[in-house]
Amino acid sequence: MRVVIAEDQALLREGLARLFHDGGHEVVATVGDAEQLIDQIDRLMAAEQSADLVVVDIRMPPTFTTEGVEAARTIKQRHPGIGVLVLSQHIETAHTADLVTQSGFGYLLKDRVLDVTDFLGAAERVANGGSALDPKVIARLVTPDQHGPVGRLSERERDVLALMAEGLTNSAIAQRLFVSDRTVEAHIRHVLTKLDIPDTSDAHRRVLAVLMHLRAATEQP
Amino acid sequence: MVSESVRPVRLAALPLALFVVTALAEAAAVALSWGLEPWTDTAIYGVYSPAIAAAGLLVASRHPRSPIGWLMLWLGGSNAVFTDLAQGYGLRAIERGWPAGRVGEWTATSSVVMQMAPTFVLWLVFPTGRLLSRAWMSVAASGVVASVLVVGSYSFSHRSDSEFAGGLNPYIVEWLPTSAMWVVGNAFLVAAMVGSAAALVVRLHRSNGVERQQLKYIVFAVVAGAIVLPLGPFLWDRYPIMRAMVAIVLLAQPVAVCVAMFRYRLYDVDRVISRTISYGLVTAVTVGVYVISVVTLGALLGRTSAVATAGATLAAAAAFRPVRRRAQSLVDRRFDRNRYDALRRVEQFIDDLGNGRAAPEEVEALLRDVTSDQELTIHHRPHCDDTGGVVTAGAATSLPVRRGHALIATISASSALNERRSLLNDLLPHAGVAIEIAGLRTELRHQLDEVESSRARLVAVADEERRRLERDLHDGAQQRLVSIGLALRHAQHQLRDDESGAGDTLDAAVGEIAVAIDELRELAHGLRPSTLDTGLGPALRELAQRAPVPVTVDTTDARFGADAETTAYFVACEALTNAVKHAHANHVALHATASSGALVVRVADDGIGGATPTRGSGLRGLADRLSALGGTLTIDSGRTGTTVTARIPCAS
Repeated sequence: MRVVIAEDQALLREGLARLFHDGGHEVVATVGDAEQLIDQIDRLMAAEQSADLVVVDIRMPPTFTTEGVEAARTIKQRHPGIGVLVLSQHIETAHTADLVTQSGFGYLLKDRVLDVTDFLGAAERVANGGSALDPKVIARLVTPDQHGPVGRLSERERDVLALMAEGLTNSAIAQRLFVSDRTVEAHIRHVLTKLDIPDTSDAHRRVLAVLMHLRAATEQP
Repeated sequence: MVSESVRPVRLAALPLALFVVTALAEAAAVALSWGLEPWTDTAIYGVYSPAIAAAGLLVASRHPRSPIGWLMLWLGGSNAVFTDLAQGYGLRAIERGWPAGRVGEWTATSSVVMQMAPTFVLWLVFPTGRLLSRAWMSVAASGVVASVLVVGSYSFSHRSDSEFAGGLNPYIVEWLPTSAMWVVGNAFLVAAMVGSAAALVVRLHRSNGVERQQLKYIVFAVVAGAIVLPLGPFLWDRYPIMRAMVAIVLLAQPVAVCVAMFRYRLYDVDRVISRTISYGLVTAVTVGVYVISVVTLGALLGRTSAVATAGATLAAAAAFRPVRRRAQSLVDRRFDRNRYDALRRVEQFIDDLGNGRAAPEEVEALLRDVTSDQELTIHHRPHCDDTGGVVTAGAATSLPVRRGHALIATISASSALNERRSLLNDLLPHAGVAIEIAGLRTELRHQLDEVESSRARLVAVADEERRRLERDLHDGAQQRLVSIGLALRHAQHQLRDDESGAGDTLDAAVGEIAVAIDELRELAHGLRPSTLDTGLGPALRELAQRAPVPVTVDTTDARFGADAETTAYFVACEALTNAVKHAHANHVALHATASSGALVVRVADDGIGGATPTRGSGLRGLADRLSALGGTLTIDSGRTGTTVTARIPCAS
């Protein structure tokens, strides 16, 4: 996996590079701000040296607000094939709402990097066109609402939904919940029925449908 | 005739000459007749002629085209020469055996003819100097006819015998029908008197503004004369005070004319009239009560009872105050309707105010209404306006409003205020309470607004502070901890195949932990420096040591409240930061002293100056923080150097 890292803090930038390197991946470039990131990606693509994943900090110079998200959006527009993993100190869904339903997009809290195995797994998922949403982002999306469709789900079904939304496969969910694959499949059928989402064998498209549904539900007043 | 304003009168030559002649003639008359008639006569007429001539001199000098001044000069001069001087000569000549004594006496007797008609004319043309219309000429003609017939019949018949020392008129003209002349003449006299008085009444009725006030003066004098003078002959000998009254009413006319013509305190004529009438009524009623009480109690208790006298005195005294109030109100209602109505409306308003039916702020509209002056404005103190209560240009004049000794407001009005000053002076004691309440409410609103905006700013400052803190934590310590975590993970990875490298990585991670601890300490220090626990003095000295420029510290080691010390510390911090960052100061002096129940912090720099509390939210935020503690922040910043002084009240 060829990785580009955009992070303004040098220590963290080096740490991330080392992490991917230790995990057996190739870090092709590290930059300190969004402008350099877009330049770098454009140059790489022009030179037909592909990049699989961009890891970008959400707050970067000059204003330290949402430069990372803007850069991610630009990259997804210009090069939809590149996976973009946005890292943030805290959860702010306002600016990323339109991105979470795209393929090859991830949004994780920075401290997830310390869970090296999970982090690298999520990074690979995003690089392969999957999604990786932080459990805390998902938790905010699947918060039970008395009147909403999520309110009709059982607690177990909500757990399954959350893991689906994170981008996990059926068997990964089964492992996480210590149940059999068949049980997970049954839960998923119930969830999709209750939420009125058409079932599909393509796990990735299923996740997107679920996220789209959740996003629409949370945006309603 | 309306004079523009009060200004010094420059005496004209001819009127002055006439006045001098009058005065000399009168002086001679007084010298000649002294001791030969009652001294009061001599004195009264000795004053009367020069007084009316002096009034004529003033009026004729100021308004030479008006007949009024000249008429008065004529009245004074003719009275001095043909009446007083002639009479004096007649009396002295007969005593000393000088020639033509009788001629003198007769001239004095008949000289009234010269004054009677001019007096009517004076009434007819006052104050414009012109007749109301040509028809009024007939009144003047009646006056002339009356004076010729009456004085003719008097001077040439035995009617005037008493005027002569010998008790007999030596100039009898037998063939004159003096009785018929007397009757017809008196008829014309009454007609002329009624007619000229009617002229005044008609003018008074039609007039307004200044002319009305002028007329009120002369009418007042004429009415006073009409009441007192007929009583003179009857009471002259019995009551000496009557002589003084006659002198007063005789002088009243020239004085009234002068006052009216020169508008000197013209606006008080209403008060003069109403007070005169009401005190007259009060006197009459009180005397009546006294007499009735004496008679009644005397009949009951015996004629000479001292109890009766005492009781009557008590009754009269008890009646005085209510009678005075009733009489004043009656007179005001009858003679000064505007003032009466205005007072009633203001009293009604105050009553409504007390019952919650009116708002104190309506007092301005009310005063505008009752004074018919839409420009009238109340300027409250101390928050009258941004100019600190200085009455704006354009408003001609202003009037202070006091409650007790305190000046609570000023009233500005149009240039017509002078005519309403007296009315306002009567209204303000009543309206003052409403003005004061309105002023207090305005000030209260002002202060509430200030408190609200200051509270909003405090909240905004607190929010901003929280945001800054959150950012510092996220971007500082938290990032650093994440990178330390990453370093540890890397070391974990290295332990498998590069153990010496892992040792270096761990060393670096521990170094990062030391930096993170420092960062957290700085952050906590920004919230509240821990050195403040040992006192403001040590905290300020530590602040000075960390500053990038030399800072001299002069601080008390006394302890104050935690709030006061923390606020003082942040004032010093902010001022020091500004001095270094914005003012480019080379040296800063820091003082903290306890001064009469307050902690005073002063930070003086030698920088470029030009600091204001509105620029820079830092100082503004501190000012708000100080005002929350009841303190003040003053910034003295000129072309060079800035001194920030904070005064924080505290118990210790």
